[in-house]
Amino acid sequence: MTQTRSGSKLVWDTVSYAVLILLAIVCVGPIVWTFLTSIKVEEDIVTRSMVYFPTRFTFENYVKLWSQSSYPTLVTNSLIVTSMTVLICLFTGTVASYSFSRFNFAGRTQLMLAYLIVRMFPAVLMIIPLFIVMRQVGLLDSTFGLAVAYTSFLLPLFVWMLKGFFDSAPKELESAARIDGSTRIGAMFRIVIPIARNGLVATCVFVAIAAWNEYLFALMLTTSQGSRTWPVGLQLMVGEFQLPWGMLAAGGMISILPVIILFAIVQRVMVAGITAGAVKG
Amino acid sequence: MSRVLYTAANPPARSAWEAINPMRMIGELSETRYWMYLLLLPSALLITAVVLYPTLYGIQLSFREMRLNRPALGTDWVLFKHYARMLADPIFWTALRNTAVWVTSSIALEFTVGLIAALALNRNLPGTKVLAVLILVPYFLPNVVAGHMWALMLDPRLGVINDLLVKTGLLTGYKAWFADPSTAMAAAIIVEAWHSFPFFTLLIMAGLKGIPTDLYKAADIDGAGPFAQLRLITLPMLKTIIAAAVILRVIGLVNSPDLLLILTNGGPGRATQVLSLYAFQTAYKDFNFGYAGALSVVMFILLMGFAWAYIRLSKVNQD
Repeated sequence: MTQTRSGSKLVWDTVSYAVLILLAIVCVGPIVWTFLTSIKVEEDIVTRSMVYFPTRFTFENYVKLWSQSSYPTLVTNSLIVTSMTVLICLFTGTVASYSFSRFNFAGRTQLMLAYLIVRMFPAVLMIIPLFIVMRQVGLLDSTFGLAVAYTSFLLPLFVWMLKGFFDSAPKELESAARIDGSTRIGAMFRIVIPIARNGLVATCVFVAIAAWNEYLFALMLTTSQGSRTWPVGLQLMVGEFQLPWGMLAAGGMISILPVIILFAIVQRVMVAGITAGAVKG
Repeated sequence: MSRVLYTAANPPARSAWEAINPMRMIGELSETRYWMYLLLLPSALLITAVVLYPTLYGIQLSFREMRLNRPALGTDWVLFKHYARMLADPIFWTALRNTAVWVTSSIALEFTVGLIAALALNRNLPGTKVLAVLILVPYFLPNVVAGHMWALMLDPRLGVINDLLVKTGLLTGYKAWFADPSTAMAAAIIVEAWHSFPFFTLLIMAGLKGIPTDLYKAADIDGAGPFAQLRLITLPMLKTIIAAAVILRVIGLVNSPDLLLILTNGGPGRATQVLSLYAFQTAYKDFNFGYAGALSVVMFILLMGFAWAYIRLSKVNQD
């Protein structure tokens, strides 16, 4: 009996490893292949027989993309939009999430539900009126306007995710500070926010990645070089100039590099936050 | 300076400077009973401005004429004209059918792969922590890059997948996956599943941690095999979290046309035209904001109906 059980454990362990290694290859394979394509010479990409292990390498694709296209401007615009989105969420969302986490008041449940339900609103339904309104107030085709539009789906997410981190910060220290005469706002900034620091960073990174990656709003709400973000720019280059695969792969690698670095740094805390928010939601 | 607990009955003495000191004023404000509402005010105002107002505006637009490229038509009320046109619009019905295929197939694939990955990771075997991180990576990649990575690999002339399939004998010649109406949707669904299955893995892993191990020990003693345990313990215990994950993914899949916009743009023909993409193109290419609004309102109503029915069904089953 014991023997068959340990035998079946071995079988399932082997199956688990096989499944996980296969999945990891499927997940990372396309990224590796794109990277290989980006450092291949043109003749090794456009070839009759597939080159799996290139022997010649070049960074020409990166150099060409960076010096001969508008990619640096696009990346700068994206950085500006992303930073502004994170700042807006940080200033308006942190206090909201603290309020939901620490106080019990009339309308709390309904308001929290409202912050959850707004995520169900179709992007297209919001994009059209946002386009009209932003054109009226002169925010169309501006980085600030785009950042404000991003808060429509990222701010509720930010509030919910951060609330999970605030919930798990102990309330006793805060009470102690209050007894010592600290004001509520003093306790919030000096005690609670420093305790939930890691969660705050992870939440900001999550929002930053989402803003950096966003395509649809940016496509509709930006029309010129001045505010266009990299996903829209890259897509336009593919359409207009028949961007060669090597350069396209280089562009893809440049733009996912910050995402992968940030994800690697905060992945554990961020994963905890995403799941906590969703489990309770 | 010793700290004193100031209350409304025992207010601090103020100098002229303190009366206008902003830090002090905020500190005092934080002691009032409206403080929690004040904290919510900035985000609530912002959400009202960028979500609620545009949504109501959008619903209103669906009952009006609004074509940016034909201002002569004006912006009069047309009542249900757009909705009536939709009923007679064959593209709408095709898009509706495609949306159903797109959403159900993607969810089924993502859930299956996500569950398998989560179950394997939950065994906490040595070395699998690193694999977990690798498996989660696609979820954080931008649609634009994910789309082009796969477009490169599935390319009819240079695609590595074509080459591998031909070399292993599964395919006789290179195939243009996205140009063939019979494979375009399936190829897009695979890309979508690759991109989003880690979401299910993430949530199911969190749910698995909450299942008491005693249940499995008891089942072991009763002689239940792994598949019986999965069916009788794991899945029922995960019901809430699976319901939440499915609803969130359905919302995402119905609402965002990004990946299809990049991979196929609805083609070939209308083989991959979905509702969100049709609504977006109607707004972005035709500038027919009224009709695009009506399409998105219908999408929204279908989504609400689905969420309501789904939550009800999963609650009924729980009792």
